[in-house]
Amino acid sequence: MKQFIIIGNSAAGIACVEAIRQRDKESKITIISDEDYPSYCRCLISYYLAQDVKEDKLLYRPASFYKENNIEVILNKKVARVDPKKNRIVCEDKTALNYDSLLIATGSSPKFPDISGIKKNGVYGFRTIKEIKEIEGLIPLTRAACILGGGLIGLKAAYALKKRNIDVKVVIKSPQVLSQMLDFEAAGLVRKRLEENGIDIILGNDVSEIIGEGDIRAIKLDSGKAFESSLVIVGKGVSPNISLVKDTEIKFNEGIITGELLKTNIANIYAAGDVCESYDITTGKHSVNALWPIAVEQGKAAGANMAGDSVKYDGSLGINSIEFFGLAVVSLGIYKVKEADKEFEELKISNEKEARYKKLILKNNILVGAVLVGDIRPSGVLLRLIRERINISSIKDALLCEDFGYPDMIDLVKGGEKIYV
Amino acid sequence: MKQLYYDVKKCLGCKSCEVACAVAHSLSDELFKAIKEEKLSLPRKKVFFSKAKNYPVSCRHCKDPKCVDACMAAALTYDKEKGMVLHDEARCVGCWMCVMVCPYGAVRPNLKTKMPLRCDKCKDKKEPSCVKACPTGAVIWQEEVK
Repeated sequence: MKQFIIIGNSAAGIACVEAIRQRDKESKITIISDEDYPSYCRCLISYYLAQDVKEDKLLYRPASFYKENNIEVILNKKVARVDPKKNRIVCEDKTALNYDSLLIATGSSPKFPDISGIKKNGVYGFRTIKEIKEIEGLIPLTRAACILGGGLIGLKAAYALKKRNIDVKVVIKSPQVLSQMLDFEAAGLVRKRLEENGIDIILGNDVSEIIGEGDIRAIKLDSGKAFESSLVIVGKGVSPNISLVKDTEIKFNEGIITGELLKTNIANIYAAGDVCESYDITTGKHSVNALWPIAVEQGKAAGANMAGDSVKYDGSLGINSIEFFGLAVVSLGIYKVKEADKEFEELKISNEKEARYKKLILKNNILVGAVLVGDIRPSGVLLRLIRERINISSIKDALLCEDFGYPDMIDLVKGGEKIYV
Repeated sequence: MKQLYYDVKKCLGCKSCEVACAVAHSLSDELFKAIKEEKLSLPRKKVFFSKAKNYPVSCRHCKDPKCVDACMAAALTYDKEKGMVLHDEARCVGCWMCVMVCPYGAVRPNLKTKMPLRCDKCKDKKEPSCVKACPTGAVIWQEEVK
């Protein structure tokens, strides 16, 4: 019988324990979380604030999950450091726990820019259910809010607050929204849709100061302009929670570096989810892809391997799907290349009037990225082409067709075909 | 466990299966009433044409379903006994993660209802409606071939 410790109680942590329990019903499993809530759907907190979903729908697993799977869960406890030499972890309250096998799935935290007033009450990172409940309490007192950053979290926050009848301004440093998942043209369609629905987007500007004594009163921009706001949401990206491995022999870069079994450089320590730096199959480099579905697949593979299996993880990539006011958007892998970069080939169709856009990025006839706006139906099969690194030369002409689908690639994909006789 | 199979040599691409599917998932379960329903019922199956053949495409209820893993709302679960991916509409927020990761492109978004369209093997009926609707016998409902 072994002792497994899982630090983190979200997508990667839960996928890991489920994978362990599929293979090992006996060993002890302990999950430690620094949050005061059972595992919940973190990506739904904006929908919760928007009142699109109720609190009971936020739970990622039923209340009985931990007991049924014989898992000890310790909430509200933060792990301060890992001690690989002694196979133990030490918590901030000085308690120590020993493990035979450890998963680090500590997730990530919002990055806060270093500007005047950023520490004031009323500035939130929009990451946890605790923050959302505090924001909920402020809603009756809030007339105007400001979002710093035009990424996914910022825009989802903007949508939620707008839905609660609050004036929302989104201040974005770059010249487009969603600069980490869309190119300029696709982003333009999203921006238009947001603006049509009453969300103010301020591009090419940054917040220089959050003004107010005690409560927040206003926001000042680089340009010198200021406007009213009593609530600030910071959506300037996230950084992996790696403090517990600093000053240890566990290797990290931006995140904790893992190999193809999701193992760190220490034999019995694994990492998965937002904290994990893994091989990116589209760029060929190691990177952090802090996304829910990626966290689940990494946690699942890590858990299998911790239980003695040998499940190879092919690698991660950026995958995003989101809908704003009826406009569906999907981004897969590499979404933007420099025009001068002759290594890549772009196939593209766009229809601004109908808010449709499709762009595919190829490298040596292998699909390495795609951006879809409006019609996202082929996104699943495109993702498969990317993941399986399929040479698409024989279907290149069909790729952009309206009715491109799985049958067009049937002879090219792995796994064979059983249902068509 | 029964699964849907297709004899592509017999499929004419007439889309009778698509129509039957849409009707079966309408409120009235009758064609001429279904077309007047406020939220038009859409088919959960689509016939694709490729290299001179027709291929009906719908959810295969994979044993290791990528859509279930990707679902950020825990609206999708895999029921081992039924051999089916189950969709809890009350939990679904229409984020389209399931559409994005389906390796067969078999889950499609219904942008009007904000719900994904997925074959549920006509769970309340004796067999999927597409089976009987097919005039050439191209849709086959049989025990799974291992």
